[in-house]
Amino acid sequence: MTELSHEEAYSELAAVALDAGQVEIADAVRAHASVCPECGPELASMEATMALLGQLVPHSEMSPGRSAGVRSRLIVRAGSERKARAASGRKPDLLHGVASLAGQGHRVSPTSSQAAAPEARMQQPVRPIRQPGNERGPASRTNWLAIAATLLLAAASAQLFRVTADRNAMRDQLAARGGDATRADSLAASLAESNALVAAMTGSDVKVVSLASESARQPQAQMFWNRASDDWTMIASGLPSLKPGRTYQVWLVTDSAKISAGTFEPDARGRTVLRAKYALDRNALRAVAITDEPAGGVPAPTGAMVIVGAATP
Amino acid sequence: MAHRFARKAIDFQERHLRGQAFGVAIRRMVDSSSMNPPEPELSYPREMRSNADDVALIRRMCDSDETALGALYDRWSRSLYSLVVHLLNDSDEAEDVVEETFWQAWRKASSYEPSKGAVSTWLLTIGRRKALDRIRAKRRQREDPIGRDRILADMASPGQDPSQHAEGSELRVHVAAALRELPVEQREVLELGYFNGLSQTEIADVTGQPLGTVKTRMRLGMQKLREPLSMHRGRTE
Ligand SMILES: [Zn+2]
Repeated sequence: MTELSHEEAYSELAAVALDAGQVEIADAVRAHASVCPECGPELASMEATMALLGQLVPHSEMSPGRSAGVRSRLIVRAGSERKARAASGRKPDLLHGVASLAGQGHRVSPTSSQAAAPEARMQQPVRPIRQPGNERGPASRTNWLAIAATLLLAAASAQLFRVTADRNAMRDQLAARGGDATRADSLAASLAESNALVAAMTGSDVKVVSLASESARQPQAQMFWNRASDDWTMIASGLPSLKPGRTYQVWLVTDSAKISAGTFEPDARGRTVLRAKYALDRNALRAVAITDEPAGGVPAPTGAMVIVGAATP
Repeated sequence: MAHRFARKAIDFQERHLRGQAFGVAIRRMVDSSSMNPPEPELSYPREMRSNADDVALIRRMCDSDETALGALYDRWSRSLYSLVVHLLNDSDEAEDVVEETFWQAWRKASSYEPSKGAVSTWLLTIGRRKALDRIRAKRRQREDPIGRDRILADMASPGQDPSQHAEGSELRVHVAAALRELPVEQREVLELGYFNGLSQTEIADVTGQPLGTVKTRMRLGMQKLREPLSMHRGRTE
């Protein structure tokens, strides 16, 4: 790095304060300012003054659901980092049973389906996750239904993002469509959806499981399990786009079973919000995992595990 | 969607017809802020106290208390989001930048120095820099060579009543008033730099002024703005 004279550095302070100068010089100016009794305070006060201009932008807000998602991701990530730091290098113990999700795959046997049955209490009318028309053998169907019977998929991924996302775009669409009734209805529906999402993700009885891969920062996901209302809400980001004929599938892993929480395809930006209703014994969850599976989903995981997170007791 | 593009196109055309119109939208905002009379006596103690609270949160973050991160998020995510969504004009990207900014604040909490300014300044500076990185990366891909029409389109959209966001409104009025006091050419240089993320060289291109003139105007504008706003800069203790 070139060393600058006081005069050279001083003449560049304004550019550096606004990030409007040459990148190569900025580092040298900062280096000088960090030791110069005149340039240091001058740069700091210029930066602080410029930051005040941020007050002049029009006020915008994230939708409550998205903001809650960002907040949760941050806290979960910060919490896991703190724990990792506290454990001083001890690798988190990814649970037995989860490991078998990867590689050759693990089929749920009739025994394990039965074992899963007591904790899978019927809550809602059954809506099979698999799309009608997909070919499958009768044997696997039985297994699949035994496991999936109590699951209700509430919303398909990307749509929720779209609904809760860009208010301006929504406003424009509504305006283009015209009609105050439509507008009011859509806004009310969107608000109700946001509120429902926030309610499902917050509260004293919400358990959060953070899913990640061992190697990379992305993809990642958080599963919010509202144990009071049996709502499961998963927010994922950074997922690679799927090959044709494939789908992502979410698994709730207990000691005795791997329960599908549904299939999804992420949006163009690799994100999804998945919601499900499912009553699970409050201490039964061991892990949550996402695998890459054939389109339509499978009764038990067969494909590669994309991300996984252990549930702490 | 269609009329949004139409509005942009009209604004773009207007700007070319009238030449030097970059500051118009900001000026409109600045002027609308004058609707809300300042209450100088009230604002300073409130901000000082609020920054002391922020500093306390940063200290807890240094001790790995993630609930402090949540509290900081609740206090500043809206201001930060407003700024970065305005700069980026994309709610998805803005959301990413907000998350990255608070994450950096968590990781780098110990590098915050109260003597250099308020916590909010620190956060907004990090966020703006991250937004600018994205804007410039896009510009390099020639998607949006200068992007200067965007600010007009956005700011020309129906303004919000400044009194609606209570916590920032007094400060906003002061900043708007101080900016209004600057000579037009100094104000324009600062606006193009701050809100559009243009470099001094780009500003020289856009305004047709020599680079040296742009540098001088930027420095003078900043120094002039600094005086009336000095009490807002959040130096603590
Ligand atoms: Zn110096």
